[in-house]
Amino acid sequence: MPGQRAHSREYLTVLHGRAPRWSEVFRHFWAFEEFLMLRFRVARGVPHRGELAADAGGFRQLLATGEPALLGTFHFGHSDLTGFLLGRQEHRRVYMIRQRVGNSHDTEILGAEFAEWVSFIWVNEAENLLFALKDAIDAGGSVALKCDRLEFSAKTEAFNFLGARRLFPFTIYHLALIFRRPVVLCVGRPAGPGLSTVHSSPLFVPDAAGKAANLARAREHFQEFLTRLEAMLRAEPELWFNFLPLNPVAP
Amino acid sequence: MGAYSMPDPLKTKLKQLIVTTLKLEDVKPEDLADDEPLIGSGLNLDSIDALELVVTLEKEFGLKIKSSEESREALASVAHLAEFIRARADPARLPG
Repeated sequence: MPGQRAHSREYLTVLHGRAPRWSEVFRHFWAFEEFLMLRFRVARGVPHRGELAADAGGFRQLLATGEPALLGTFHFGHSDLTGFLLGRQEHRRVYMIRQRVGNSHDTEILGAEFAEWVSFIWVNEAENLLFALKDAIDAGGSVALKCDRLEFSAKTEAFNFLGARRLFPFTIYHLALIFRRPVVLCVGRPAGPGLSTVHSSPLFVPDAAGKAANLARAREHFQEFLTRLEAMLRAEPELWFNFLPLNPVAP
Repeated sequence: MGAYSMPDPLKTKLKQLIVTTLKLEDVKPEDLADDEPLIGSGLNLDSIDALELVVTLEKEFGLKIKSSEESREALASVAHLAEFIRARADPARLPG
């Protein structure tokens, strides 16, 4: 835990522009602990719903078309549950890319509860990761990827975030171009007992323009959502559940 | 007079596909040697590039590359790739 405490302090210092108060660090960990408890409750079958916020136009559009998509999420608030809720509420087959770590047990329990709709592709079984992904997309499933950690990301790019140009994974847009699938970035926010609200970007749809033009549009799409994410963090700093070093500043 | 061998049309097509699919700047199809490793070599291709190439090859030649082992085997070099495709592709889609 000392490492996580140090990373929490680093993040809060950058966000506030000053050393965090003890109470702010406490709130950060408390919010994360509450979320972990919620995951266990949902895994045990306690009802929990996701509702689309007014600004989730891209997500709404996606549900209306019924088209499979690439869902980009972040370690923010209830985002971890959005793929599960999309699967069960909307009857979509969702493949989640996850990193298997020492405490992945809770994720597996959650996966068992939602097994009808959700499958995992473990990112650290890198050997067959891309082929597992390809099979998932070929099978018509939606694929959910985290877009804020650099490990295992083949493509990274720099974006404005928390006062600096920082590196973020950009693989999701390359996959969108390869498989001609739309991308929607989304996060889930706590909204009272039994409820999360889902906020999303507009839909990014690869078009007939060349790769360079599509990637330029993708950069704007990602930056726009990162800017919104930063605004959400400034309103609720404790919801950043990424207890790792902040994304590195681009060289 | 020395022996002259005609260029293999499949290898020529593969080199063009590699350059155009991956938008390789400053690389011409004829710059690619038949035995040059495609991944982890001077071309500096990464796993997403390999995936993009696999998807293109599947569409172009009507074949299926099922695993990373198969793709590693296929993408070892242009010569390996040509051999792999000849063994699995719909013959009607092969050039020449």
